[in-house]
Amino acid sequence: MAADGRTPVLTVRNLGVSYRTNGGWVSAVRDFQIEICPGQIYGLVGESGSGKTTAARGILNYLPPNGRIEPGSEVRLLDESLCGQPRHVMQKIWGRLMGFVPQHPGQALNPSIRVGEQVAEALRQHRGLGRAEAEREVIEALRRVNLADPERMIRRYPHELSGGQQQRIMIAMALITSPHMLILDEPTTSLDVTTEAVILDLVRDLITGQDTAALYVTHDLGVVAQLCQRVTVLYVGEIMEDASVEELFETPLHPYTIGLLNSIPRLGATKRDRPLPSIPGRPPSLSNRPPGCVFEPRCPIALEVCKTKPPLEAPGEGRLVRCHRWREIAAGDIPRETMYEQPREGAVADDLHRKRPVLMEVRELTKHFRERRSLGEVLRGEERRVVRAVNGVNLTVRRGRTYGLVGESGSGKTTLARMIIGLTDRTSGEIELLGADVKGTVRDRTPEMLAQIQMVFQNPQNTLNPYLSVGQAIRRPLMKLGGLSRREAEREVGRLLAAVNLRPEYAHRYPHELSGGEKQRVAIARAFASNPALVLCDEPVTSLDVSVQAAVLNLLARLQEENEASYIFISHNLAVVSYLADYIAVMYRGSIMEVGYAHDLFTPPMHPYTEALVSAIPVADPNRQTTSVRLEGPPPSPREVVRGCPFHTRCPRKIGRICEEETPPWRDCGEDHHIYCHIPLDELIEMQKVGNQREQESGET
Amino acid sequence: MGTVGALLRELLRRPQSAAGTLIVLFFLVLAVFGPLIAPYTANDQSHPAAQAPSAEYPFGTDHLGRDVFSRVVLGARSILLMAGLGTLIAVVLGTVVGLAIGYYGGFIDDVVSRTIDAFLALPALLVALVTLGIVRNLPLERGTFAAWLASNSVLLVIALVYVPIVARVVRSSTLDVKTREFVEAAQIRGEPAVYIMFREILPSVVPALVVEGSLRFSYAIFLVASLGFLGVGASPPTPDWGLMVNENRRLYHLTPWALLYPTFAIALLVVGVNLMSDAIKRIMQRGG
Repeated sequence: MAADGRTPVLTVRNLGVSYRTNGGWVSAVRDFQIEICPGQIYGLVGESGSGKTTAARGILNYLPPNGRIEPGSEVRLLDESLCGQPRHVMQKIWGRLMGFVPQHPGQALNPSIRVGEQVAEALRQHRGLGRAEAEREVIEALRRVNLADPERMIRRYPHELSGGQQQRIMIAMALITSPHMLILDEPTTSLDVTTEAVILDLVRDLITGQDTAALYVTHDLGVVAQLCQRVTVLYVGEIMEDASVEELFETPLHPYTIGLLNSIPRLGATKRDRPLPSIPGRPPSLSNRPPGCVFEPRCPIALEVCKTKPPLEAPGEGRLVRCHRWREIAAGDIPRETMYEQPREGAVADDLHRKRPVLMEVRELTKHFRERRSLGEVLRGEERRVVRAVNGVNLTVRRGRTYGLVGESGSGKTTLARMIIGLTDRTSGEIELLGADVKGTVRDRTPEMLAQIQMVFQNPQNTLNPYLSVGQAIRRPLMKLGGLSRREAEREVGRLLAAVNLRPEYAHRYPHELSGGEKQRVAIARAFASNPALVLCDEPVTSLDVSVQAAVLNLLARLQEENEASYIFISHNLAVVSYLADYIAVMYRGSIMEVGYAHDLFTPPMHPYTEALVSAIPVADPNRQTTSVRLEGPPPSPREVVRGCPFHTRCPRKIGRICEEETPPWRDCGEDHHIYCHIPLDELIEMQKVGNQREQESGET
Repeated sequence: MGTVGALLRELLRRPQSAAGTLIVLFFLVLAVFGPLIAPYTANDQSHPAAQAPSAEYPFGTDHLGRDVFSRVVLGARSILLMAGLGTLIAVVLGTVVGLAIGYYGGFIDDVVSRTIDAFLALPALLVALVTLGIVRNLPLERGTFAAWLASNSVLLVIALVYVPIVARVVRSSTLDVKTREFVEAAQIRGEPAVYIMFREILPSVVPALVVEGSLRFSYAIFLVASLGFLGVGASPPTPDWGLMVNENRRLYHLTPWALLYPTFAIALLVVGVNLMSDAIKRIMQRGG
């Protein structure tokens, strides 16, 4: 704030935004305030529906046609008031004084214009530069965002760039006019974790200590911890808490903030340590807002007074909180750790050292997709290109255990799962379930085999048929695979709903009446209907909010114990995988790089690729910066055949020609931990020791 | 029928779509209750010929002494029935074809889709005329199914012309829906293709289908009228609007009312159906 004597670039007071719906005007953001200084990155964090994007758009004065800024709102950029300004005035401000970086760069860039011209557009529009001059500046701007070979980059079209490169173009475009204010709306959410890390580094370098102020909108508290100096927590359109990042993470004062921080899975914490606390219930809809504190219905410490609206109070210099009971929380009368009821389910007693019998054996599973040729390619007589999605993967899944698969997008983990479930035909390899051969696709498999392997899909929006009720969705597999009569199936639906913590009346509801978390619970109930031995979970919590994610993870852990089911659990989120999985394989470009028990695979990471993944995770703790191993550039195209180690083109620890020419050996670290790398074991261990020391030293200072 | 009621309420909310809906409902009433409303039968020639509109003959009489008002009212049934039934057949067949090629894909899809594309290049009226010419001249035994079909060949023509169009729309919706995860969930529990197509995919295709069906219906009305006008549809003395326009077009200086009112009826119905189908499209796309 202005405490350090700097004048804020952006001052927002009492900002309110409403949307017109069928039922009249609905308030999406109320009483929003913020002050951002030059060189400061201000985090605006909230779950879906919290109004964070609406607030950012309200600041930009750029709302959809059915939105309006409430009278009495105040948004000032330096000396200029933005509220109520007509479009043509704002158009001079957008791009010149305020830059905006959107969530999906691929959608924001015009696919038919070269990226250099798109960046130059802002210069020509606002500074009236000529073509040659503008091009010089664009090249300079692309260099600033660390794009290699900017002279050639400006001639490319958006589809020729990777997501990370596209996002750098967007950042270059937003910053090229040296705006006073930069607004970033979830700029890394659609990117891989290794790319995200590079973009976060870039934003940090470009803003911190410069004259531009930044508002960073995100749902990820880890990103806030690693990037921002200050943060505002939004819930149902209201500020819950506003503080410096250190204060917020160390002494959160609002029960909602505390709940969010509790529910984030931390790397190294597993289901055997403790269940993840979650925030019960779901956010109210905007049109059905509680009259008092908006968090009251979900708050574990709500009192009668919470039915009245709490004021936004300042517990200290540069801090805001909206809670009737913050004084008790600040004084420690309400302990933060036990504020939320510990979940009854989730913690697992199963002893990892007790060997379980093998359930499924996957041997040398391979999938090479043959691409369709374009007409030009057919005429030129070119061969069909082959995409090597999965290259000879071996897995052993044990009964009642979870096998985790991690990797960036394009690593082949989903293709692997689809081959196991039988939705994608395999090119070669074998799958054996309890000694029986598992055929290629679902069409060739017996009903008994289908019942044994089931799947929970990623996207809750599409996982249930919108025209079938929850009861119908669960009843069908019971009758089809379980062989139950209709009446038996009806009864069983109730039991399954209870098993996933849903009330029996949910059987009569339709998907559009359910929240994302509830849909995913129904999908889990459906997967368990045939009493399967193996359930494949493909990113089942990725599109859920953190507060809901924890509950679904706990549910999966409990169901596994009760049903002795095995999971193959796929996620790009290492912390989530290491929480639920017993045994993990790290995949890169269709091959497994490292396998081992979840508790010792990431602490410390041994394989250079695993190390890069771990180091890329934004940890939700501002005092812990991970060692920064960064992977430059995107992985090579899966069409190219890479000889030697698949990772050698990006490996920061490459030791020489051997990596390029020879396939690496499997190195045995004991305890079923294997590493696919040319670097000898003792050297890998030595590297990690050095890294740890450095980390500890930097932590102490 | 809660959904139909809800759709009707939505349709009546805006003046344009309400007008279209009321026009269509008006003609539906004529089609159902026509014989009760019309003061005379269609071919009652006992009236004075070529009478201008008056209190007794609101639309006048034609040169044969038939009451134009009665003929227009009675003509509503055949055009709505032909166009409606034809569209229905086209929608049902088109849905089956579209679902099948969309779901199975591959070689079958390539062959059928390219055939459809080729078919769509031909003008509908040309296809109709050629088909009618062939069907009418087939030596068919009376009383057989084939003969019945030939006597209702306009129906057949509408179905033939519109099946490919409907199939193409259904196919593209199917391609979109079949990669969704609930379809894959059905596949991994071993559901047969027919179940997946009709139970899992079809409901999601219905909105697009309703839009397309209502659009096809308005084209079908026009096609029926055109065929009547060209003399290959209904045969005299049926009170067919297109036929009436044709019969009276050379006598327009004597009995302009006998030409004007059936023309007006066709135009009004087509406009009404179009307004309604626009509104249905808007409602469906909004996800109502």
